[in-house]
Amino acid sequence: MLTTIAAAVLATLAPMQGETDTTIAVPAGASLSVNNFGGAIVVHTWTQNRVKVHAEHGSRGSIEASLSGTVLTLKAGSRHGAPSVVDFDITVPADMALNLSGTYTEIEVNGSKGAITAETVDGSIDVRGGSGNVILHSVQGSVTLADATGRIEVNSINESVELSNISGPIRAETTNGDVTLWGIKSSSVEATTINGDVEYEGTITDNGTYTFNSHNGDITVSIPENANVTLTVATANGDIDPSFTLPFTGRPERHRYTFKLGTGSARMEAESFQGDIELRRPAEMRERQKDKDKHEEP
Amino acid sequence: MNDQWTDRLSEYVDGELANGERNALEAHLATCAACRATVEDLRHVVARAQSLENRPPKAELWSGIHARLTPGRRPGVNARSWRVSFNVPQLIAASIALVLVSGGGMWVALHQRPAVVAKFPPVPGSLVQVSNDPYVWTDRTDAAIADLQGVFDRNKSRLDTSTVRVVTRAFATIDQAIAEARAALVADPSDAYLNLHLADTMRRKLELLRRINAIATAQT
Repeated sequence: MLTTIAAAVLATLAPMQGETDTTIAVPAGASLSVNNFGGAIVVHTWTQNRVKVHAEHGSRGSIEASLSGTVLTLKAGSRHGAPSVVDFDITVPADMALNLSGTYTEIEVNGSKGAITAETVDGSIDVRGGSGNVILHSVQGSVTLADATGRIEVNSINESVELSNISGPIRAETTNGDVTLWGIKSSSVEATTINGDVEYEGTITDNGTYTFNSHNGDITVSIPENANVTLTVATANGDIDPSFTLPFTGRPERHRYTFKLGTGSARMEAESFQGDIELRRPAEMRERQKDKDKHEEP
Repeated sequence: MNDQWTDRLSEYVDGELANGERNALEAHLATCAACRATVEDLRHVVARAQSLENRPPKAELWSGIHARLTPGRRPGVNARSWRVSFNVPQLIAASIALVLVSGGGMWVALHQRPAVVAKFPPVPGSLVQVSNDPYVWTDRTDAAIADLQGVFDRNKSRLDTSTVRVVTRAFATIDQAIAEARAALVADPSDAYLNLHLADTMRRKLELLRRINAIATAQT
């Protein structure tokens, strides 16, 4: 049966007036690999064990599909040497692992419950869902991830990184841009930027480790007063601005201070060379976000 | 982070504490997340060093580095007897040094031009005795950055001009951060935060260069 399916899709799919539409049956546990030089990859999910592909590629473009074992691969074909620009709209089983890549490619995923790897050079990545390993890399575009569970690794170089409603260990990084983490449930978070702010609203779990680092931006962290955390804050040229009294511990240093809340079992470092370190109660963070949202409303 | 045990963690990792001290430290570790984390970091560095030792040498690079890693030893001596001594402010510097060594292998594999490896920076002194002096380890990191920057300059024509522009701006951002951290260190060379921040920022430049070079190499 699967052999028949594989034979059926091991081919260049015939385009119809610049578009390709096809549906391919896949075995349970299959993964999807899409490489698209330029254009878009948009992925939706459904409950069927089939992958539905709609691709717009112009009259000279084509789509190549192959199913090898449990890996379904989709590629943009090129007829005259030049790579095609294709807009993929793909519907996959919700738990299907996704490996999406491109160069001038926008990537969007909605409703996935599987592992996701997405990499692009010039394009944004916007993912809602994902579980297991969720790895998102863009050079020139922003990266947004929401409603994911698992080991999260997200980075950009020139744009912001934004995570919300995430459970699991997180590593988020950019060079020019903000790193914003909201609604996080994690015992391991590392968020760094060179030229941007870092904002964290989430749990501080006993024995967890949290690292927030910037060179030019402010660090704003939500800390419940009853958290059990040893907090190290450092800034060379900024201010340290807590909303409540912090019990100082440790040896005094010129730029770095250590405070212990409760048992101090979690470890948090918040450091910015030029910026301020703001430590806020969770309710204050939420109020601040509401104010920000109001100002951003059209 | 700075309690009475901080300076003994390296000895603990090396198994050099007397039984009584070891028991006392382990009791302390049970209640101190900061020291536990530091011990984990130290073990990670040691493990990385040991895994590097077990790699087959690539071109002529490894023997030279190995000789410097183990002063007074000949290549091939079992690395598990190394004593790796770091204090906490040196930890990131040590990590950078290890990144440089492992990166050298990757660089060779990527470019298959062993002759160029000779350009890889000389390692002054022993890697396992990382200097307190920031100028020693930053020299080494500067040289590695310069090498990777050279690779980028050669490969950037494979990238789109807008990508090159963005990446160049990112490099400039990091360079500015490095320059500011260096200037602050001139005024306060022993400050732990400034040392760590400089080391971390330089590490990020290295990682970014590696990432961009990998992307450029993948473009055909």
